[in-house]
Amino acid sequence: MDWTAIALSIRLATIVSLVLLVLGVPIAYWLTFSPRRWKFLVEAVVALPLVLPPTVLGFYVLVGLGTRSPIGRAWTAWTGHGLAFTFEALVIASTLYSLPFAVQPVASAFAQIDRTLLEASATLGVGRLETFLRIIVPMSIQGICAGLILTFAHTLGEFGVVLMVGGNLPGITRTVSISIYDEVQSLNFSAANQTALTLLVFSFVALAAVNAMTRRPWAGLHGA
Amino acid sequence: MNLSVRLRLRLSGGFTLDVDFTATPGVTIVFGESGSGKTTLLRSIAGLTRPEHGRVTIGDRVLYDSVRGTSVDPSLRRVGFVFQDLALFPHLSAAQNIEYGLDKLDRDERRRRTAEIARSFDIADVLGRRPKQISGGERQRVGLARTLVTNPDVLLLDEPLSALDRKTQSRIMSDLQRWNAEHQIPILYVTHSTREAFALGDRVLVLDEGAIVADGTPDQVIGQWAHEH
Repeated sequence: MDWTAIALSIRLATIVSLVLLVLGVPIAYWLTFSPRRWKFLVEAVVALPLVLPPTVLGFYVLVGLGTRSPIGRAWTAWTGHGLAFTFEALVIASTLYSLPFAVQPVASAFAQIDRTLLEASATLGVGRLETFLRIIVPMSIQGICAGLILTFAHTLGEFGVVLMVGGNLPGITRTVSISIYDEVQSLNFSAANQTALTLLVFSFVALAAVNAMTRRPWAGLHGA
Repeated sequence: MNLSVRLRLRLSGGFTLDVDFTATPGVTIVFGESGSGKTTLLRSIAGLTRPEHGRVTIGDRVLYDSVRGTSVDPSLRRVGFVFQDLALFPHLSAAQNIEYGLDKLDRDERRRRTAEIARSFDIADVLGRRPKQISGGERQRVGLARTLVTNPDVLLLDEPLSALDRKTQSRIMSDLQRWNAEHQIPILYVTHSTREAFALGDRVLVLDEGAIVADGTPDQVIGQWAHEH
């Protein structure tokens, strides 16, 4: 097994999961509770990676991070090297690609909270941020954990976007799925099978955990 | 302190809630059939629904004024609201529900106030349990205690006893009367039960299709309303 690729993928998935925890929860909150009529447009943008071919997303991210783009120029001026084909580029691309996996379970959990509970909190003198921390987060914790697990699992198995943006640099951008592809190209099916089986088992365990978590322990208890 | 309410708001039933009244300390019953605008009236006073026009004040404090563009956030109004379905927080114990609005106080003071009101409402034995683990009457008293412990300037109750048996209703009504005698704030109590109106109300406002069609003591108003319906 390619332990370097596995370690790199785990590092990438961990960082992307944490970044999306910070970004995804506020986006999910806004999508759930904002009264704006045009929020369906933002919902569509967030969900876009679900239907977009990874190569299309990867291509535009590559262009967006290239040396001719404002982001690429700023990065080069700051670090002295380009952003494309680096680990940081993988983090940015994976964050965009996994956005719906982080946002949708959390938004779904937020939407199931009875609004009367939030109104009750307000009439008890508690502001919005504190209501979020004391009511919304504890009652949505399963959805938040499900979002984290799905993001981690999805990032771990990425192929197309990673290949477009990161290429195949061992120890830098060569993730576990690219390692499997390389082994198959070299007709090394035994090594490919070992890594693929590991990913398969992990994905199954992750999905089982998500399904177990998204059962709602507070269902039917509201107002009770 | 008096609660002054002048509000106008189009309702989904095709009519307009259009009221103008002042509630003095004591229980004012808001009486009327389903869909007459009672709940919307309470929600507008609490800031949970935004009226189109009007002004709501408690004493000199302006909560809403459409002319000046003032609308105080519900969390800053000091208006207590007991919801029809209580809206107890299911993931918190009864004690944590009661303490919920006291977070600006230190822990000892929170505990002291919670214990005091729990004794007063006879729910001290269930403080460690979650809402699902206690009876309907106990939940109702936890809901009342949770609101009253914050010492609101105005109390709004939206059919708080409708789901309870008569014995439990009587007990909670006497709890509420005792509390009202001690605190003397304006209380708006929405019901369509004549029994509750007679038992609790000093004054009854009858709401019909968004308008106040009668205003007086329970004896004056309810008899006439019953005769007409």
